[in-house]
Amino acid sequence: MAFRFIDTTPGSTARRFVISGAWWFVAGGVVGLTAATELVAPDLIGARVLIFPRIRPVHVNTMVFGFLSMMLIGAMLYAVCRLARRPLYSEKMGNVAMWIWNFSVLAGFLTIPAGFTTSHEYGEYVFPISVAIIVAIFMLTINVFQTLARRAEQLLYVTNWYAVGAFTATLIVFFFGKVMWHPKTSAMVGINDAEWAWFYGHNVFGTWITPLALGLAYFWVPREADNPLYSHAISLLGFWPYFAFYLQVGTHHLIEAPAQPWLKLIAEVNSVGLLIPVYAFLTNQWMTLRGRWWKIPDSVVLKFIFAGTIMYFFTSSEGTVEALPSFERIAHFTNVTVGHAHLGLLGFAGFIACGAGYGVLREMYGVIWSERLAQLQYWLMLIGIIGFTFVLTSVGLLQGLAWRNGETVYRVLPEIFSYYVERGVFGCFILTGAGIQVYNFLKTVYARRRRSEEEFFGLERVAAAPAALTGMAGD
Amino acid sequence: MGMTPRSVALGIALIATFAAWAVLFLPGLSAPNTPSNIVRPYTPLEREGRVLYIKNGCIGCHTQYVRPEDWGYSALRVSQRGDYIYDRPHLLGSERTGPDLSQEGGQHSNDWNLAHFEDPRFVRPASIMPRFSFFTHQQMQAITAYVQCLGFKMADERMARQIYWHRRLLAAYRQGEDYNATFLASLVPQQWMSMPNPYAATQASVAKGKFVYQQMCIFCHGPVGDGNGPAARYLNPKPMNFTLLKRHRWSGGMIYYQVMNGITGSAMPYFKEDLESAKIWDVANYVAVNFIGRNVDSGNDLNGIPASIEAPIPGVKPEVPGAGTKVPVPGPARKVYPQRPSSSPQPARTPAAPGGRSRRH
Repeated sequence: MAFRFIDTTPGSTARRFVISGAWWFVAGGVVGLTAATELVAPDLIGARVLIFPRIRPVHVNTMVFGFLSMMLIGAMLYAVCRLARRPLYSEKMGNVAMWIWNFSVLAGFLTIPAGFTTSHEYGEYVFPISVAIIVAIFMLTINVFQTLARRAEQLLYVTNWYAVGAFTATLIVFFFGKVMWHPKTSAMVGINDAEWAWFYGHNVFGTWITPLALGLAYFWVPREADNPLYSHAISLLGFWPYFAFYLQVGTHHLIEAPAQPWLKLIAEVNSVGLLIPVYAFLTNQWMTLRGRWWKIPDSVVLKFIFAGTIMYFFTSSEGTVEALPSFERIAHFTNVTVGHAHLGLLGFAGFIACGAGYGVLREMYGVIWSERLAQLQYWLMLIGIIGFTFVLTSVGLLQGLAWRNGETVYRVLPEIFSYYVERGVFGCFILTGAGIQVYNFLKTVYARRRRSEEEFFGLERVAAAPAALTGMAGD
Repeated sequence: MGMTPRSVALGIALIATFAAWAVLFLPGLSAPNTPSNIVRPYTPLEREGRVLYIKNGCIGCHTQYVRPEDWGYSALRVSQRGDYIYDRPHLLGSERTGPDLSQEGGQHSNDWNLAHFEDPRFVRPASIMPRFSFFTHQQMQAITAYVQCLGFKMADERMARQIYWHRRLLAAYRQGEDYNATFLASLVPQQWMSMPNPYAATQASVAKGKFVYQQMCIFCHGPVGDGNGPAARYLNPKPMNFTLLKRHRWSGGMIYYQVMNGITGSAMPYFKEDLESAKIWDVANYVAVNFIGRNVDSGNDLNGIPASIEAPIPGVKPEVPGAGTKVPVPGPARKVYPQRPSSSPQPARTPAAPGGRSRRH
């Protein structure tokens, strides 16, 4: 089949999003490993566009908007279609959004090292790229809403709530957070700008990455465990408070900056409150697995997603503790934060994205090309992320306590050198996993016969676990 | 109302709008941007440097706010909201891989900054900052101007001192190395000039001093202490040539004083935030033993206050269990301090300098 720029076959948008995400995982991983190496050997590369401070935001943005966003969108579009029992409203529009998204990430990949940046963390993309991404999100939103409006299944399953919530909230967050009416700087003035930037920065995860990942866990865990969802009521408890709390926690990045005290209090209270929806979600997932724990080793999809939920527990609990001033005094400005970000984005969202990506391709092509390679990737990434988090948290506490003890930043640098080396080593594990994944994905796509449309949208799997898909079994 | 796409979207949109109101618009409306007592607008050159700071992603490693609990290097004043009213975008930062810069202006001289941007390891050997030697001359001026303005009016005050002393030091330096050494010594208070090093120059002390020297001093003062490290060509006046001090009046206390406080106006920064007192004394021992070639300690292995002022008791060798062995050094035996009555700090050509050799003539 010849390559078509705009593919209109059902499922093509989802597939292309997932595979693009896998490619960006490798690209972002290479940049990340280069950056990590430069922390140990600052003179490694002489080129001005490849110095650490210029490529660090490339790594962050490529991972967040390339790898995570694209894989999660792809898997989410697939899930929405399956749950609606309808093909995507417009594959054409979906494909256009996919290309816009890819070119935006590519543009960011090239422009940030060239010095075009807003200098807002997670929002370094300059105005035109931000506009392109918002347009793509808007197109995807329309697509999701139209697909859901034509759904054959009346009941709206939890996954769809998260899809709708994520797309709606993200449009609002991007518009305000990126200060779209001030294209030149994408910034407000002074401390107020910091408050807006962190509203945006934190909600990239709060309303975009995390809800998509949570929705996918709701989709895949009952399917793979072959067990109905534990409780519909707990799903509700996990959903509404999640958005209500998460949207207000951004200022916890500024607890010791001269922001208003009441604003910091709002952020702290909401950060603690966030534990309610987090633990509700986890209860629901893990109780769904009751009596089916033996399913986990068999399915690489479930394996990835189950590991993701465990890391969600750790990263969310850690996030709440970090938002409290007593711990924040030690962890702030240190590598504890870097470890936390990696545990959240790679450990939680990344694992769920990889699991869901494998799930989508397995459903589309009947089988994953090599389960063994997928298992190998799982273990490499697991060793990588656990080692990574452990190293960075340790070194962060070391930094924080040394600074609290009155040592200067410069004096602590030689102390943390070996940790930076270890971090690079664990990064190699993760990058190898990413390479295996893209190889496995491509082999699956090109080496296997694609399932026919009837098979793809047939109801045979739905019939196998109707309760799991409607989510009503627990009531 | 059930969970339909419409109701979910509406609910989430309401929550998001409320949150935007509560945590975005309300703080902006309730706290007007009133200037603090130190803030001032950026000059065009500083603004240009600020753009460079943004383009090169400096914010990834350097913060620009002092927290209430911060110690050290630049924690002179806890940052206030009014310090940032000219910042768009803000550059607060979130990670301290390098030091905080909110009070960096005037902490170092311009030529220190030049050498530091050329290669950070010239002046900070353990630094992991990348080199910015690709900056053009104009960009180097701009980024230095920006860094030197951080702290605003407080930085301006420090910069005024830097400029005043730079002029005076340069004038002294142009009169020759020996005049320069005398001049620098004249800036050290008498009680420090007459103070011997309270830490005996044991092998352990000299070894520790060497370690500190390599982490802090080596690329300016050079591995043999002659002031010809790789950074020296960016610096004016040049770093001190320690070997020269043999023919001048000097003491452990003098070295300590100058390492502790730095020499404002030159590239010699102050190390009192980076080094604990014992480490400065150790590095003073290392410099004395290796580069000047004379012992300057009190000659007493004992620790404690009297050890720094007591002369060694004739005929009694202090025996301390576990104390290191003395490093044998050439040159005259230890002197008892003060070795000569305190003279006027007025610098004068030392007769010991044959011919008053000067580098400039």
